[in-house]
Amino acid sequence: MKQLAVILAVAFLIIAVLYWTGHFYPTGVHTKHGIVAAALALLCLVWFRFQSASPTR
Amino acid sequence: MRTDAVVTFVQAMLLAVLQGVSELFPISSLGHTVLVPALFHWNVDEGSDAFLAFVVALHLGTALALVAFYGREWLALGAGLLASLVRGRIGEDPNERVAWLLVAGTVPVAVLGVLLESSVKRLFAAPLPVALFLVANGGLMLLGERLRRRQHVNAGHPYRALDRLGMRDGVLVGLAQSLALLPGISRSGAAIVAGLLRDLRHEDAARYSFLLATPVIFAAAALEIPKLFAPDAHVVLVEALAGAVLAGVTAYASVAFLTRWFRHNDLRPFAWYCIVAGTLAFALLVTKDIA
Repeated sequence: MKQLAVILAVAFLIIAVLYWTGHFYPTGVHTKHGIVAAALALLCLVWFRFQSASPTR
Repeated sequence: MRTDAVVTFVQAMLLAVLQGVSELFPISSLGHTVLVPALFHWNVDEGSDAFLAFVVALHLGTALALVAFYGREWLALGAGLLASLVRGRIGEDPNERVAWLLVAGTVPVAVLGVLLESSVKRLFAAPLPVALFLVANGGLMLLGERLRRRQHVNAGHPYRALDRLGMRDGVLVGLAQSLALLPGISRSGAAIVAGLLRDLRHEDAARYSFLLATPVIFAAAALEIPKLFAPDAHVVLVEALAGAVLAGVTAYASVAFLTRWFRHNDLRPFAWYCIVAGTLAFALLVTKDIA
């Protein structure tokens, strides 16, 4: 699951950059789409953090 | 002399009150924003930069009112979120659990919002479909109440506190909120119904819905802030400022009223209002078209 979280985070980050640079859609830059993709990348990193932390007693 | 104004001052103030009230009451703000100008024959250019800047200002006013109303709660939720991140685990503290429920409920509406909003608006943001969706919104709330009664009153199913919801429940409420992309379906109504069906009491379902509204309205308004600086935005500067304040005040009063209302009452009066208003609007619009 940890690997999946990292893979998804990287994938969403790449998607965000592609949206921001206008490479995802031929119609141009999509700032909002990029922000949501970046937020999803951040959430995947949070998921990774929750998976990595050792369980508390 | 201003000849290029997109709304008169009186229209702007009426729209501000309408926004402040209908954003939080489960009666669809977007639906009312489409229907009222159409029914009163207001010559409003809803696609102009100036009008969009005005709408952004109203949303900012509403979002600030919600932040003011739930200010202390947001601070506690923020602290809970940070604590769980540092610990790497969501603990039993209700603030931590509710904070992550808000994240879970916001993700679906954010994703579906950016992907679908413009196409859905293009397809359905016309008075006739909006009137029908308003009726459907009323039907949805009545159905939700009926199912809740069957679940809890007849079958004796126990209620849950908000912080006892699972993350999956939070995502489901978020998905239900996304129905409000259809103009005429209320965001708060859909979220409250979904909360009721996940075993929340009205009071908790409404609180969850209003807390969920804050990031959604804020993000939607913040992303549109550049429109406030559009070349034609200065045309409505006075209306936008006064409208933002009025929308904020009415939104604050609305959320204060509704949090009290849902302690002892349910969604049915709002459901019947939507059914009657939607049917009347549909009849008036069809009659006007035929005439």
